[in-house]
Amino acid sequence: MAMTRDEKFWEGMRWAGFGATFLFMAFPIFWMILTSFKVARDAYSTKVFFSPTLNNFISIFQDPYNFGPLLFNSVVVSFSTVAVAIPAATCAAYAFSRYQFKGKNALMVSVLSSQFVPPVVVVLPFFILFKNLHLLDTRLALVILNLSFVLPFAVWMIKGFIDALPPDIESAAVVDGCNRFQVLRHITLPLIMPGVVTSAVFGFIQSWNEFLFALILTNQKAVTLTVGLMGLHTDKGILWEHMAAASMLIMIPIFAISFTIREYFISGLTMGAVK
Amino acid sequence: MAGIKMVDVKKQYPNGFVAIENMNLEIPDKEFVVLVGPSGCAKSTALKMIAGLEEISSGEMYIGDRLVNKVPPKDREIAMVFQSYALYPHMTIYDNIAFGLKMRKTPKEEIDKLVKEASEILGMSDLLDRKPRQLSGGQRQRVALGRAIVRHPQVFLFDEPLSNLDAKLRVKMRTELKKLHERLHTTVVYVTHDQVEAMTMGSTIVVLKLGAIQQVGSPLSLYSFPSNRFVAGFIGSPSMNFLDCTIAEENGNLFVDTGAFRLMLPEDKAAKVRDHGGKEFIFGIRPEDIRKRREKKESYSEEHINAKINVIEPLGKEMYVNLSAGNLEFMAIINARFPLKPHEEVELTLNMDRMHLFEKEGEKEAVAHTAKNATTLEGARLMADLDESDDD
Amino acid sequence: MNSREKYVKWVMLAPALLILIGTTLYPFLYSFITSFRFWRLTRSAEPGAFVGLANYVRAFGDAGFWNSVWVTVLFTIISVTLSMAIGLAIALILERATKLNTFMKSLLIFPFAMAPALKGFSWRFMLNPDYGILDAMIDFVFPFWSDVVWLGEPYWAVFWLAMTEIWGWAPYIALVFIGALGALPQETVNAAKVDGANTFQVFWHVTLPQLMPIVIMVGLLKTIFSVKMFDQVVTLTGGGPGRATETLNFYVYNQGFKFYDMGYASSLAYILVTTMFIFAFIYVRFLMKGEQN
Repeated sequence: MAMTRDEKFWEGMRWAGFGATFLFMAFPIFWMILTSFKVARDAYSTKVFFSPTLNNFISIFQDPYNFGPLLFNSVVVSFSTVAVAIPAATCAAYAFSRYQFKGKNALMVSVLSSQFVPPVVVVLPFFILFKNLHLLDTRLALVILNLSFVLPFAVWMIKGFIDALPPDIESAAVVDGCNRFQVLRHITLPLIMPGVVTSAVFGFIQSWNEFLFALILTNQKAVTLTVGLMGLHTDKGILWEHMAAASMLIMIPIFAISFTIREYFISGLTMGAVK
Repeated sequence: MAGIKMVDVKKQYPNGFVAIENMNLEIPDKEFVVLVGPSGCAKSTALKMIAGLEEISSGEMYIGDRLVNKVPPKDREIAMVFQSYALYPHMTIYDNIAFGLKMRKTPKEEIDKLVKEASEILGMSDLLDRKPRQLSGGQRQRVALGRAIVRHPQVFLFDEPLSNLDAKLRVKMRTELKKLHERLHTTVVYVTHDQVEAMTMGSTIVVLKLGAIQQVGSPLSLYSFPSNRFVAGFIGSPSMNFLDCTIAEENGNLFVDTGAFRLMLPEDKAAKVRDHGGKEFIFGIRPEDIRKRREKKESYSEEHINAKINVIEPLGKEMYVNLSAGNLEFMAIINARFPLKPHEEVELTLNMDRMHLFEKEGEKEAVAHTAKNATTLEGARLMADLDESDDD
Repeated sequence: MNSREKYVKWVMLAPALLILIGTTLYPFLYSFITSFRFWRLTRSAEPGAFVGLANYVRAFGDAGFWNSVWVTVLFTIISVTLSMAIGLAIALILERATKLNTFMKSLLIFPFAMAPALKGFSWRFMLNPDYGILDAMIDFVFPFWSDVVWLGEPYWAVFWLAMTEIWGWAPYIALVFIGALGALPQETVNAAKVDGANTFQVFWHVTLPQLMPIVIMVGLLKTIFSVKMFDQVVTLTGGGPGRATETLNFYVYNQGFKFYDMGYASSLAYILVTTMFIFAFIYVRFLMKGEQN
């Protein structure tokens, strides 16, 4: 089918838009990557060609920056949050998806709405509570607070995946001789595993990127990577070449896992928000 | 092997909705029973109650001699084939078929033997290593069957198993399922919304509407002796013509008067409505019981009807003809040899032995055949069909 | 289902519900009570006396508060409209399922998955008047803007703050819209073409109206998250220049954790909660309607 002039025009616009989108999305990341390989002098310039160095990546792990423990904190906090949130969310999502009961809608709305409570409201009382319990500047405190936003999101996302699973398959397993627990183990869980993994990745990313709670509740022992960036904001200004290297440290793991599961990621992304 | 008995079985949902009200049904052992009805008639709910997937609100359900109200599905010795097949997408075909046996802790060699046997019966031995998504719709259907037969259950439950197949495959699978039933000789309860499927497959048909049983009987008895207007309209395609009418009396004879035409009632039917003169009824006649008048045949009406042809749908051997008489519209099936054209006038005669009268209130059949007994009438009907193809 | 099954669902719900009660409901109520108290942590670790509505009344006379409300409104309007518009444009560009578009879609994950705090720093770096690459590019294209210090001008600072948000959210919104576009029946588009509509008319009269429910949902969701935005204020502008980018969220943070005025911060937080829940309420109603279908 030949294109009309009108269609040709929009086809051209589409390509122009494609280029613009690519630049808009990729450039800030590209520039960070580039800067992380620059020596300080080059970093404070708009040079595209320079002699690259790996020094920045080495020095952020040395005094006075010491990103090693920060990385460790981020890993521990994110993994712990996911380890608690995902099993709890999976069970709750299954109950919401498969059972009818009084007050179900009200409960689901509460779970959904808890995502919308501003973090600053949550952190005020916990700051006082943790101060009294001597939990300030601990990883445990961060895990507890991260659950407040990771868990409700995970419930909704996993519920979406369970809703998409035809109930007939579970009925078939019941007729085949499974009890409730066996159905979950042999049929439901294996089938919603992609959804559970995707939710886990989402939860991990959310905790990993979390900034506000860590900024308020930690100052030394439990500082995470995102808050660690603040330490590169020194009296001499921001040390951009180090900042860029530290950014890589934050971005690369997230990019790597989300790229690996990109197909599920994209479908899961849209599942939480709209039906 | 076992039959099924439902006594006053009721299904009421927590929100108060009553899906099934006091259902009483006895399904003899080894019978092929079809539950048929339009959507919303609770046929699938009834099936799920037999399976134990839906709780019974009150009443009693027996499989064999055992009361199964509280027996979980896995202990009911049933197997079920679902409309969506409900294959386990993460398991191979072999594992799909073997799953039920594994859950019952059948020894491994035994499982292997049974799976092989079942897959041979269904001719899919070469598919066992694949995953469900690699199979065509028809093959998935077979796997679903295989999963059911491998367990040698007391009762097979089929929930619209053919509705996801294309028309050709569906016709083929009907025959295969019937053959399978003859071979396995096990009770089958089969749910469908398709009356043709019900007629071709069931040895007994249960017609349901809004959770209530309308009629139970053999395919031909439902066709010939529908007990009410719903069954009459539901069974048979194209469906029966229904025309409002009154009963008029003249010289001791009773007539059906539709406004557009008047037809004399045969004596045996007239006897049933003799004291109903002047009352309103619904006159029912199947399209295949209307023919073009050529020569009078026994049992066809003395009088003829003049009708105008609106639309002709030629089907080859015969044609569906939409006609008008006065302000009434109806359908007739007429042998294709007659050179009919739209807008022509045509003279028709009706087979008054096969007409029906339904009460306006309650829509019950008022002139059910009793003069000749059912079996002979079925025979007569078949004979008439043979006649027809001979002399037209 | 037997009677044992009846409480199985509650056992399954219990862990999640208990965690949420502890991490959300408890602080939610605690803040509410605190908002009626006088309580400066600098003076006492114990909560002070109840002061009725004094904290709320104080907010109404507080210029800093009104400034933060204005900044939040401005930021929300810019970030919501632009991220929706750009998101929709990207969706239309990548609508067809070609290999190149699939690759691009995976690329869209990255800005979304990037830590918001990092977004702030990254844009701050690019906008630096001396060595920022973006600043240099803008100066090259628009020489008359070469003297502008982007993060030094109040309105520009709000704009760039919104830009960091748009950069992360437009790809997400695009992905949602691509999904929605794919679900639209192609027949309606073909019918419109047969009826003689040109490409733009097809979009305007056929595609967009059918997309509207999703547009509203995403718009509400984005509004909620724009009001919640915090990280980039800290890392891009620190609230400056002056108070030009102090959002309500940031203002609450300052009152609570810079001045340790827990009572006042709580009451401000509750004003924030109230406005957010108006949008959240509408959003949830839409979503639950979809849930019931």
